[in-house]
Amino acid sequence: MTQAFLIVVRILAVALFAYWGYRLWTGTQSWTSRVLGLFFSAVLIWQATLGTWMITG
Amino acid sequence: MKKFSTLVWLEHRRNWLWSLPLMGSLLFWAWGIKQVLIMSVEERLGIRAGLLMGAITIGTVLLVMMIGRIRSETRNGQYQVLLMSPPSGYTHILARFTYAAGVGFAYFIAIGFLFWWILELAGINFDTRSLFELILAMPFYGMSVVVLPILAYTLLLMVFVSAYRISGKGWIPGVAMLLGTPIAMQWLSEWIARITWTLPGWQVFANAPTALAERFGEFDPELSVEIGEVLHSGLPVEPMLVMLAVTAALLAIAGRIWQEVEA
Repeated sequence: MTQAFLIVVRILAVALFAYWGYRLWTGTQSWTSRVLGLFFSAVLIWQATLGTWMITG
Repeated sequence: MKKFSTLVWLEHRRNWLWSLPLMGSLLFWAWGIKQVLIMSVEERLGIRAGLLMGAITIGTVLLVMMIGRIRSETRNGQYQVLLMSPPSGYTHILARFTYAAGVGFAYFIAIGFLFWWILELAGINFDTRSLFELILAMPFYGMSVVVLPILAYTLLLMVFVSAYRISGKGWIPGVAMLLGTPIAMQWLSEWIARITWTLPGWQVFANAPTALAERFGEFDPELSVEIGEVLHSGLPVEPMLVMLAVTAALLAIAGRIWQEVEA
């Protein structure tokens, strides 16, 4: 896999997880759920950008 | 307190079809143990211990399924009628968790007895202290490190997902939490590994080698030294304390969400 392809995959993953974060923030009236949802979105975005589980080519 | 005990009683009414077969399954495992008739004592003991490990795994899965069932308790108003007022979210969560944890403790203590039984069948006679460690200390340690956090996590997952049921897209919170959890767990386990053994270990089964030597003869000197070192270290206390704290935190968050969503 080329570096460019992996960069595109990461960008798409970040976009998806950011969208999830938006939906998790706006989809409930519960502030604790919003914070928890944002936490998991942030964890996933962190993993997609700085984490080591994706193949780095 | 009356509210809490009423809720625990309701949990029992709702879940006895799960908890009773779970406890009854121990008879099946006991029957399975008796069916192992291999001539070699060591192999027989190994297979029987393997069966009990299977019982532990399946029992944990059943407990998770039992605690994870979401019902519309608050929406049909049964608690308000029974308790004359809406109970808090924390009471709800604690009652559900207490019932599942209680059933779990009973189940794993019984498994401890089954372990003692297979040791007796193999001719290994534990003294009273080792027996108590087998049927009380080990279930408590195992449940604190593994089962209780999983139960609390399942509760939080279900409550978290139900907080989004009005807006639709119910799969997003569930998938985000399930995907994010291994990453968060990796950080947590790395931190636990760093702090492990900062406190003195919990020494268990100090007299077990004597019982084993009585049955199988004296160990090889090198093996004796290794066993002695392992027993001297004991069980690390830090994972147990951290996971108990994590359990309490997960329950508090679940209770808070329930309070905000259902109350």
